[in-house]
Amino acid sequence: MSDNRLSRAAAACLAATMLVTAGLPAVAEDFKGKTLVVGTWGGDIERLLRQNAAEPLEKETGAKVEFVLGGSGDRMARIYAEKANPTMDVAFVNIYEAPQALKDGMVEAPDPNAPYFKDVWDGMNNGCYAMSLVGLGIAYNKKLVSKPPEWADMWKPEFKGKIALSSYPGSEGDGVLGVAARLAGKDEHDPDAAFGKLKELTPIAMTYTNLDEIFAMMDAGEVAMAPMISGYVLAALKTHPDIGFSFPKEPGPVLVRDMLCLVKNSPEPELAKKFAALALGVKNQTDYAEQLYFGPTNKNVKLSSAVSADVIDTPDEVKGLLQLDWPYVISQRASWTQRWNKEILGQ
Amino acid sequence: MPPSILLLLPALALSAVVFLAPFVWLASTSFRTQAEGSLLLADGLSFDNYVRLFADPFFLEVLLRTLAYSAITTILSLIVALPVARFIVTRAGRLKGILLALMLVPLVSGALLPSLGMLHLMGPLGVVNGAARLMGLPTVKLLGTPTGILIGLVQSFLPLMVLPLVNTLARLPTDLEQAAASLGAPAIAIWRRVILPLAMPGVVAGSVLVFCATFTSFVTPQVLGQGHIATFGTVAYQQAGQVLDWPFASALAMVALAMIGLLQAAIAIGSRLIRRQEAL
Repeated sequence: MSDNRLSRAAAACLAATMLVTAGLPAVAEDFKGKTLVVGTWGGDIERLLRQNAAEPLEKETGAKVEFVLGGSGDRMARIYAEKANPTMDVAFVNIYEAPQALKDGMVEAPDPNAPYFKDVWDGMNNGCYAMSLVGLGIAYNKKLVSKPPEWADMWKPEFKGKIALSSYPGSEGDGVLGVAARLAGKDEHDPDAAFGKLKELTPIAMTYTNLDEIFAMMDAGEVAMAPMISGYVLAALKTHPDIGFSFPKEPGPVLVRDMLCLVKNSPEPELAKKFAALALGVKNQTDYAEQLYFGPTNKNVKLSSAVSADVIDTPDEVKGLLQLDWPYVISQRASWTQRWNKEILGQ
Repeated sequence: MPPSILLLLPALALSAVVFLAPFVWLASTSFRTQAEGSLLLADGLSFDNYVRLFADPFFLEVLLRTLAYSAITTILSLIVALPVARFIVTRAGRLKGILLALMLVPLVSGALLPSLGMLHLMGPLGVVNGAARLMGLPTVKLLGTPTGILIGLVQSFLPLMVLPLVNTLARLPTDLEQAAASLGAPAIAIWRRVILPLAMPGVVAGSVLVFCATFTSFVTPQVLGQGHIATFGTVAYQQAGQVLDWPFASALAMVALAMIGLLQAAIAIGSRLIRRQEAL
C-alpha cells in the first residue's frame, strides 16, 4: 500500500519536473548540468566577473560557473599539470605568461574571426585575449615627495633606503629593470646596466606583496616611493589622502596587460567562448575602468572624461608607454631572479 | 596474510593515492628539467637541479640561515614552553582544559592569520612601536629583520612544544620531586636532576616538531621578513609560484625533506645510544 503511494508520488514528481523543464527555453537545455571553471584573481575582479559575465551566462545557458581564485602562477601550474586532461576552461594570466602558454600549446590561439577579437584594439591579443591595460608608475608619499615624481627622482640621495619594490619575479620588477636600464642609457637587453642602476637604490625599504602592506609603510613615512601598477592603486588612493600616484614621462609608464586565455581541449569550449565575450564586452570593461581603474581593451567602451584621465584607454596612450621585450625578459627569468635575490635583496 | 592487514587495506590505499603518489610525482619532477624557452618538462632525467642547487653559494647560504632559524626557534620555544607546561600541569587546576584549548588556537588557525596579526603588532605604527612613540622611547625595527621573523616563528610553533611537554610532565609521579625535596635538594637541583631528565621524551618530541615546522615554514618568514630575508620556504615558493620552474622547486622541496629525514634519523640513533648507555 505505502509502496504504491510512494511510486505514485514519484510519478507525479517526475511529471511535474518534465512539465517545468519543457516550459524553459531550448537554449537552457543545452548546457544544463554543465559547469564552466574560470580561474582568476579574487576580490574586485572576481566580483565584477561574477556580476557581468558569470551571472548573465548562467541565466542564458542554465550552466553553472565556478571560480577558482588565486595568483596567475597557480593557474599556470594548473593548466600545465593538467595538459592531458584539463579541468579549467578560462584562465586569466598576465602579459608575459600568455605568449608562453600559447607557445607551449596550453591555450587556444586567439581567433581573429571571433567578434570579441575584433573589438579589441589591434595588436593587443598577444598569446591570449587582451583583457585590461595598466601601467607601471610610481606611488609616493605626498609629504616626502613634493610633486609627482619622475623615475629619476627615485635615485635622489634624500630618498636612499626609502624606496620599496615588489617581490620578484613579476611584471613590476621586470618593468623597474627596464626603466633602470633606460636611465643608464641602455635597455632591458643589457641586464648588467639594469641591475647596476637598480642596485644604487639598495638597501630597499621593503619588498611588498600587497597594497595594505605598502600603504601602511608609506603612511608611516618609512617608504617614500614605490613603483606600482596603476589600477587597484588608484582605486585605493581614496582612503589614503597622503599617497599619490604618478605616471612618469621619461620613460613613460611600463605597459602591463591582463590576458584572458581559453584553455586548450577544455571540457566546455562553447561556454568558455560565451564567457570570454561577456568578460571582454562593453559592460564589464566599463565597470573595470570606472571601479578598478583598469583600462579597457574594447574599442567600443566610452568612458567619461574624468575616468578616462585616470586609465589607459586609447591606442595613442599605449604608444606613449614603455613596452618591454617580454619574450626576451621571460627567457632571462631564472638568471634574473638569482641576480635580484643576490644583488637587490642580498643580505 | 593476517586479517588485520586486510582491514588496513582501505586506509593504506587511500594514503597511497593522496600522499604517496604526489610524493613520487614530486620526487620524479625534481630530476626533470624544462626545455629551453618552454615551461614544459623535457624528456629524460638528470641531476641538473641538484647540481645547480649545491653549486650556487646563494642556496647554501639560504640553507644555513634556515637551519639557524630552526635551531634558535627550537631553543627559544623550549625556554618559553617549559614553565608554561609546568604551570598547566601543576597549578592550572580547573583552567587546564581552557589553557590547552587556547594553546591550540594558533595551531588550528593556520599560519597566515597569526602572521598578519604580528604584522600589525610589529609594524612601525603597530602596538609595540606605537606605544614606544607615545612614551617618547626609541622605536625598534622588527619587520624585515631576523628578530621579527624569530618572534613570529616562536609564536607560531610554541604549541608544538607545549603540548608534548604537558603530556610528559603530567605523567611524572610527584613522589619523586617530594622525595628529592625531603632529602634537601633545592628547586634548581630538582629541575636539573629529576624533572628535566624524566621529561626528556617530551623535550625531544617537541623540539623535533618545532624544528621541522620552522625549517619548512613559508608564510611567517614571507610576511614578517617583508621579502628581505630568504629562507628555504620562501625560495621554494619563488621558484614554484613566480619563476614557474617547477622541477627546480621540487628539488628544493626534496632537499628540505632529506634534511628533515636526516634529523629524524640522527635523533633516533641518538636516543637509542642513550638508552643503551642507561641500560649498562
